[in-house]
Amino acid sequence: MRYVAILLAVVVLAAVPKFAQPYYVTLVLPAFGYSIALLGFNLLFGYTGLLSFGHALFVAVGAYGAAVLSSKLGVKSFELVLLISGAAAVVVAIPVALLSVRYVRIFFGILTLAFGMLFHSFLFKFYDLTGGDTGIRVLRPSLFSMDFKELDKTAFLIGPFYYYCLGLLVVLGLAMWRVVHSPFGLHLTAIRENSRKAEYLGVRVRFFRLIAFLISAFYCAIGGVILAINTGQADPELAYWTHSGELVFMTVLGGFANFFGPLVGAFTFIFLKSELMGATQYWRFFLGLTLLLIVVLFPRGLMGLALDLRSKVWRK
Amino acid sequence: MTALIETVGVGKSYGDFVALDDVSLSISEGELVSIVGPNGAGKTTLVNVLTGLLKPTAGVVRFKGEDIAGIGPVMLSQRGMARSFQLVHIFPAMTVAETIAVAVISRSGKSLDLFSPARSDATVRATVRDVAAIFGLDGKLDAESRLLSQGEKKLLDIASAFALSPEVILLDEPTSGVSSGDKHGIMRNVVDAAKRAGVKAIILVEHDMDLVAEYSSRIVALTAGKVLADRAPADFFGDPAIIAAVVGKWVGKSAKGA
Amino acid sequence: MTAFFDILIGGVFHAAVLFLVAAGLQLVFGVQKIVNLACGSFYALGAYFGITAVNWAIKVGVPPSMFLLVLLASGLVLGVIGPAIEALLRTVYDRDEAFQLLLTFALVLMFQDVLRFFWGANPQQLGNLAMEYGKVSVGEVQVPTYNVLVILASVVIAMGIGAFLQRTRIGRILRATAENREMSQAMGVNVRWIYASVFTLGTVLGTVGGALVVPTAAASLDMPVELVVEAFAVVVIGGLGSMRGALAGALVVGLMRAAAITFYAELEMLSIYLVVILVLIARPAGLFGKPIE
Repeated sequence: MRYVAILLAVVVLAAVPKFAQPYYVTLVLPAFGYSIALLGFNLLFGYTGLLSFGHALFVAVGAYGAAVLSSKLGVKSFELVLLISGAAAVVVAIPVALLSVRYVRIFFGILTLAFGMLFHSFLFKFYDLTGGDTGIRVLRPSLFSMDFKELDKTAFLIGPFYYYCLGLLVVLGLAMWRVVHSPFGLHLTAIRENSRKAEYLGVRVRFFRLIAFLISAFYCAIGGVILAINTGQADPELAYWTHSGELVFMTVLGGFANFFGPLVGAFTFIFLKSELMGATQYWRFFLGLTLLLIVVLFPRGLMGLALDLRSKVWRK
Repeated sequence: MTALIETVGVGKSYGDFVALDDVSLSISEGELVSIVGPNGAGKTTLVNVLTGLLKPTAGVVRFKGEDIAGIGPVMLSQRGMARSFQLVHIFPAMTVAETIAVAVISRSGKSLDLFSPARSDATVRATVRDVAAIFGLDGKLDAESRLLSQGEKKLLDIASAFALSPEVILLDEPTSGVSSGDKHGIMRNVVDAAKRAGVKAIILVEHDMDLVAEYSSRIVALTAGKVLADRAPADFFGDPAIIAAVVGKWVGKSAKGA
Repeated sequence: MTAFFDILIGGVFHAAVLFLVAAGLQLVFGVQKIVNLACGSFYALGAYFGITAVNWAIKVGVPPSMFLLVLLASGLVLGVIGPAIEALLRTVYDRDEAFQLLLTFALVLMFQDVLRFFWGANPQQLGNLAMEYGKVSVGEVQVPTYNVLVILASVVIAMGIGAFLQRTRIGRILRATAENREMSQAMGVNVRWIYASVFTLGTVLGTVGGALVVPTAAASLDMPVELVVEAFAVVVIGGLGSMRGALAGALVVGLMRAAAITFYAELEMLSIYLVVILVLIARPAGLFGKPIE
């Protein structure tokens, strides 16, 4: 049943560029980016129980990685950009994680927020390196060494780049599915549920949290690369703490207790935000209100709601 | 017989407060040693020292000849000792099977496996089922831990410690919260299963003197941080002064053979 | 030498205002264990409303020398939103911390547009009103009297809170409830009322802080999100839940910022984040906080 739903979703997503207006198609791209980022984020949050308020840092690393590689170092290959930016995020994540996983709950949140803002400060102030508040341009990459020179920017984005990103989402999603259902994933859940007992069962709590952190950083960076190529620019606001807050928002909106929750959350958030922005200049208020309602009324998010509905229907 | 686990002159003080004072005991293969004493006597502190959670301020604590002062729970489980808890410790959202699997997998050293499907590994599932069966939980493998009764949660706690295939297992009030009718049944199960599984020694912390009398090969009584007595059950229950100090009143039921 | 005094007074002034916001955060965290991301929003609200209040006061003929009182009053008046928001927070008291954090984040988002709705997107300021109070000599330097008055007001408030918590019956009840809510309830304390009052007090400290700062700084829509980071820095350095920590942390942050702005502007916030990280690593409880798990 579940596999049918996934297959259907992939087919629908693949069909979108053929049937929908380019505007909507270009919205799906950031949804892909955030979906991948959130798959990683939720490994740390939903599965390991650590709430980071600074993960936008790694999204920014991905974006700036793509920017520096493409416009300053002339790297054209999308594959290389993805790998190097991802690796860079893991490298940056190592000291951050080492220092942060010693703590839990609110201290973990504040520490990660501090690291995120530290990076933001760095991006903002060191103009010569990072372009300051304007950021750095991101150039179009080549996909599997193909340039697609004949396509203009939009055509490239809603065409080959779209399908590539869809493919990335499927592949990375599958990988995360395996991770979450592996012995490692089981131990992460144990750590979340009762870290003391997990220790007594021989689980190296800090080490596993560290690994989860590194994986989440990698995924966030990949998401950041996609976001940056889509907008053509890497800017410091990507690392601001409110952007980290949005990552949490999206995850909870979709449902953090479910594997697919973050994906649902990413897509819903992007489209909701877009519609609200078109409807009123006070879209932040309504976005905030949505989060409020979710937290108070539907803490298990949209997937939680969907599963509740399904069990009610089945009972009849 | 060399001691499997021993403490030599162990003391633990917190500033002026002395929790343990010159505690020496040794436990050898094949023994089931009970630690008894009134509340506040230092049982918990001793347990924490024996399980590597607390570093003693004086003396040594050794497991299989190696110093284990403060090595922490992870290293302890790797060396072959496991414990269950007085206050129930479970993974609320995980099922019985998953809980036991955590122990089985970590014992097998395959924890860092990121890609194989944990739930469907046949060997793991078989082991999980076997361990659950010892404790009568094999009918509830897919039940969420938080939905179990208090007694069942207790059993799960012990079962998961068991699943580590430890050489020594420390049971901290394993039958508290279990109905009296079941207590003996459970102890019997645990002791028999332990023998079958190759557990070499059991340390038991208990308040229920009937159980202590029935199953211990030796009883260690603590009062105010000191060892009051360290004797076989017959000697122990034959001495009214000791009983009075430990339980507070004479216990009618005597040990087997007395 | 003048540079030194400038940094000192500027830093202490900034610290005085930061202290008010941080004290509000500490009270709410200490008693209710909630970290309020919207503290910056209250601060900004206080700032904007303070400007409106002063402008109105000038129009109705209130003498400019009174405007410090007008600002204080406007900050206090805003306290009415306290109970309303606390009622909202009540719905997530017993849930995971993540939800409480997220609820206050939702408030941040909503407040952004509330401020925008009432006051527009452009920064607002009170012109040179601070100069109405003239200058005063501190050492060899001329300092705006207004800054000194605010520092004094802050000190008075700090001492007032300290006395309130340590010496009054209600203060003791507050501290007891912070330690152990169930026991407090069992002893007949109306915990609901306590929570509502504490939150309102925290809110008022934030709004007053914002109101007091406007003669010297502009009110802008960036305030809510920028202040949160500084306030958190103060609370971490000083220790979560401690009033003395709020004071110490505020002084550290205020003085560091003033020094950084004078000597090496690039490092302004960077230095503060580094200190936060260092403190969290070396002494997670902060200068005065209680050690955590």
